[in-house]
Amino acid sequence: MYNNALNLLSILILISSFVLIANKRQNSYISTFRFQSLLLASISLLVSIRGMLVHKKFDEVFIIFLLIVLFKVILIPMVLKRTSQKVEYTVEKDFFINIPISMLICGGLVVLSWYVIYSIEGITNLDTKNYLIYSMSVVMIGLFFMISRKKAIGQIVGFLVIENGMFLAAMLTTEGMPMFVEFGLFFDLLTAFLIMGIFVFKINDTFESIDINKLKNLKG
Amino acid sequence: MIFAFLAIPVIAGGLVWITKNKTVIHLTNLIGALLILISSIAALIEINKFKAVTSTGIFKDLFYIDSLSGYILLITTLAFFLVSLFSISYFGEELKRNVITLKKLKLYYSLSNAFVLAMILALITQNMGVMWIAIEATTLASAFLVGFYNNKRSIEAAWKYLIICSVGIAFAMLGIILLYYSSTITQVGNKISGLNWNFLLQNASSLDPSILKIAFIFILIGFGTKVGFSPMHTWLPDAHSQAPSPVSALLSGVLLNTAIYGIIRVLSIVNTCLGNNNYTGNLLLLLGILSIATAAMFVLVQQDYKRILAYSSIEHMGIIALGLGICTPVSIFAAMYHTFNHAMTKSMLFLATGNVYLKYHTKKIAGIRGLIKTMPVTGIVFVLGVFAITGMPPFGIFMSEFSTVVGAIQSKKYIIAMLLLLFLAVIFAGFVKQISKMFYGNNPNSEIEKGELDFISSSVLIVLLCIIIFVGIYIPAPLKSLMDACTEIVLGGI
Repeated sequence: MYNNALNLLSILILISSFVLIANKRQNSYISTFRFQSLLLASISLLVSIRGMLVHKKFDEVFIIFLLIVLFKVILIPMVLKRTSQKVEYTVEKDFFINIPISMLICGGLVVLSWYVIYSIEGITNLDTKNYLIYSMSVVMIGLFFMISRKKAIGQIVGFLVIENGMFLAAMLTTEGMPMFVEFGLFFDLLTAFLIMGIFVFKINDTFESIDINKLKNLKG
Repeated sequence: MIFAFLAIPVIAGGLVWITKNKTVIHLTNLIGALLILISSIAALIEINKFKAVTSTGIFKDLFYIDSLSGYILLITTLAFFLVSLFSISYFGEELKRNVITLKKLKLYYSLSNAFVLAMILALITQNMGVMWIAIEATTLASAFLVGFYNNKRSIEAAWKYLIICSVGIAFAMLGIILLYYSSTITQVGNKISGLNWNFLLQNASSLDPSILKIAFIFILIGFGTKVGFSPMHTWLPDAHSQAPSPVSALLSGVLLNTAIYGIIRVLSIVNTCLGNNNYTGNLLLLLGILSIATAAMFVLVQQDYKRILAYSSIEHMGIIALGLGICTPVSIFAAMYHTFNHAMTKSMLFLATGNVYLKYHTKKIAGIRGLIKTMPVTGIVFVLGVFAITGMPPFGIFMSEFSTVVGAIQSKKYIIAMLLLLFLAVIFAGFVKQISKMFYGNNPNSEIEKGELDFISSSVLIVLLCIIIFVGIYIPAPLKSLMDACTEIVLGGI
């Protein structure tokens, strides 16, 4: 029952990253990211409640749940929306590779992750294997999303999706890394997000656009 | 002891904001850098007595400094001290010309302290998770340093640096999660120690080899992005060439070593678990040769002297990777020795480019002639530095490259040795062809007056030159025993 629920939720996270690839506009990326973080939050809630029931004491994963809700579901999407409204926004087509082909490539990435994880003999637990496949696929799709979008905002969303995949992997395969590591990770990624946000404004000021295609002065 | 490492940069970075007197700002930072250098030497003395420095109390399992981390720590703090000294004249000059404001100077000092703090944290912790966090934090702290001048080029470089390194390092996190997973399924122990490299190394034989193999690939790619191994090196030439020269010196001389340190720790765990170095060795040899080859190709066509030096950093990281990949005592000793030589030589060269840039206002090789006549000290240091970095005797880099080749031949890796020598020759030719134009002839621009920047910057360059010549001729006994201890640790000893 518990494992089925986790499986279902992590499959939904994988599907939500496909939805992300299918999105055409910046604002819909942000909503999809919020939805994906909500799914991640519900996984962490489930893991923490189970931990509390089994061990009969407060489970630290619950704090991670609160952090994910506070930052990834509420604050980061809000800041991103505000950023994307402030910076110049004219290019309608924001992708290099068209969407059907992107979907096919992402399907290929899932198969690749499946192949890689199944070739590791040491992972004997079938559920863990599946969770690793889902989370690695999310990481790969996030990476693909970053390289296939032209706008700086798209790259930030891709980065956030990659870290969602990492959190998924950490939470499900090892039932949470040690607490201070998770905190540090969260803090690091939050800072990375803030710095990237600042750089979006800087790019917008100096290049009068956030089109990454214009960043082509340095070569060789 | 350990808190000194963490507290000094925080205090020094914070104190610069209190005052408006620029001499006091420079001095605060310099004293902070000197104190960290002293603490790292003190740590090394303690390691010499007790093998390792550990912490007590609630952070008992978190911090651990042994010879290897102490050695890289020494390089880091020494380079930071010399760079801080140089920054006084470099940024003092820029302040005089109103290129930067006083606020920017304070920002530079705070960020460079944060940058060094992150590197120190990566070195003194034994927790892989914290190490990852610290290495990611180095990217964040230095992103603004790379984009310091806020012009088109530097912002582009900073954005690339930020994105490529953050994404690359995400893969290292996946690798660390797998490492942790392998320790949780085989070991009882408490949760936190499952991420400690010391614990993993001691229990390496009971970890699962197939998980470790895949974890190593992820970590090699992840930290390798930060090291600048080809083909993940694309951020490196941009960031190194666009950052202010003191920052370039830190990025190239110190940061790359910190990232390679992360790889070394995992390397020794995986090698101990697998019982041999075939797997990790082949991967490292491949990446190493690829990096050296890439550097050789690009050195031939560069027109920007800082970019040439950046590509040369990729080459030298490749040589260190070869040393680690061959994995015999000789080659690992060579890799350790090379780390020191490269850090000092490359810092010297980047600092020299700082002087050149302030004088000529261009990064193009074509715009610079008659360097030795215009700036005698910088010019001569630069010439000798170019010879040192391309591996001419009697400098340290010659010795360590030579030992790497010897190591390769001893372990019958003739093709590796041959390719290494070939690419080294190409790189030497490239350097001479490109850079030598800068030194001779007459300065075409008569507005540039002769003379050095000031006494401090020249003396830093001369000190660094003395270090690399001295270490090339004779390795002092304490340094040698330190490097021997490091070699033992890389080979799996504790």
